[in-house]
Amino acid sequence: MPTLTLKFKDNVISEYVLEKEKSLNIGRREDNNIVIDNLAVSGHHAKIDSVGEGFLLTDLQSKNGSFVNEQYISSHWLQQGDIITIGKHNLVFKYRENEAKPEATGPEDMDQTMVMDTDAYKTMLAKSTPNVADLPASKTQAGEPAGILSFISGGTGEIEISKKLFKIGKASTNDIVVSGFMVGQVSTTISKRPSGYFLSHEGGSKPKVNGNSVSESVKLKDFDVIEIGSAKMKFLLK
Amino acid sequence: MVVVESTGISDVGRKRKKNEDSFYIDNSMNLFVVADGMGGHNAGEVASTIVVETVRDYMNRFTDNNIEIEELEDSDTSLSKEANRLISSIHLANKGVYSLSKSNESYENMGSTVSAVLFTKENLIAANVGDSPIYLIHNDSVELLSVPHTVLAEQMAVNPQRAKMLEHHFKHMLTQAVGIEETVKPDICETPIYKGDVLVLSSDGLSDYVSPEEILDTVRREHPQKACRALVDLANERGGNDNITVIVLKVKDKKNRNGLLKGLITKLINILK
Repeated sequence: MPTLTLKFKDNVISEYVLEKEKSLNIGRREDNNIVIDNLAVSGHHAKIDSVGEGFLLTDLQSKNGSFVNEQYISSHWLQQGDIITIGKHNLVFKYRENEAKPEATGPEDMDQTMVMDTDAYKTMLAKSTPNVADLPASKTQAGEPAGILSFISGGTGEIEISKKLFKIGKASTNDIVVSGFMVGQVSTTISKRPSGYFLSHEGGSKPKVNGNSVSESVKLKDFDVIEIGSAKMKFLLK
Repeated sequence: MVVVESTGISDVGRKRKKNEDSFYIDNSMNLFVVADGMGGHNAGEVASTIVVETVRDYMNRFTDNNIEIEELEDSDTSLSKEANRLISSIHLANKGVYSLSKSNESYENMGSTVSAVLFTKENLIAANVGDSPIYLIHNDSVELLSVPHTVLAEQMAVNPQRAKMLEHHFKHMLTQAVGIEETVKPDICETPIYKGDVLVLSSDGLSDYVSPEEILDTVRREHPQKACRALVDLANERGGNDNITVIVLKVKDKKNRNGLLKGLITKLINILK
């Protein structure tokens, strides 16, 4: 049967043998099979169950969490050489020499795509890392920076790039209308993509970004200066 | 009008018994959809099929110009008419999958991702729910146009340290999918495209094994048809744990105002000769 070696830093504290059809409890309290007397360890921190041919480690919703090979886990099928971290202690899982190891179980199930229910998602995250629970749990809460065009000349004020595809040109249907002899009906578009704002040339004279003509498209950076016909604007992320 | 060369393959992979992915290619509408279904028995298949068929049928209503069609409400003013339609089609698909899963026990909790690309006269619209990626390859760069609705990606955006701790457990955990809840929030972007640009839509059966850079290399090296096959083969060679669906699109031509003007000038020059 495989063994668990309890270590603190490099010192071996003790060794435990796992047995079939027997569960092992790990925690700070005396009634556990493996007692780790440290304040970072919860009273009943985790357990290991013998399931079929394998051994399944489950975190018992402990305060500081359980980790296997430095990855946060809530449950995990133990495999040869796995290092379980509980508080500041490590437990090394090893089969004895010549001992039959079960086929890797678990990862197969992991590949199943699942949808998290929103409330469970928030609770789980708050629980998994109590020290960072104050941080926003999702991107929408964090608020993405919005792109703004601030006129330097040829117009006044600031205009928010409020559309996914924002149009600038001579025609009155554009989001910003600019004048100029060679300016296209739609001269330039700014598209908002997941990776940022992109300025693209559409027709007529080419727009300039920081003095360079743009013939296809460029990604805009904070404080870039855009020139289209008579208009000169600064791009800002707010 | 954007002219697109397209090719698509859906492969069951090496481990699964069924293919729960669905895809749709339509060169006359210039509409391309990938859906990755999930749910027990054959529910995943059912969900992804409903998704592609609903998007297809809804978008198809607008192709006949003679008929006035009522648009769905809640249109978003920050988007073009076409983008609003694509969003509506996804909402409709959500309703379809959701109501079937609620009315039939064997379809309980089924759902699907959706990633759709639509070319308008001049632009590209990309919309998605879930984790099926849409890549845009322009010159020598590859960019993700879809927004991955996964626990991992969303955490990565706000707190990379925490995301790393979650990686193992939440690799395939989505924050939303079509048909799971009453409403769904697709992400969408609209952007101009250029001749030679390539788009790759896929299910996570590809993106789990093949990096965006490898996708870039493959589509730069091969024609869409060969590239598509090469990507599916690569995912299978590396394990093929999941179904693999890949659509490769190449922009062959884009006739815009510029093109017309150039054509006119060429004609004038020819006359003068």
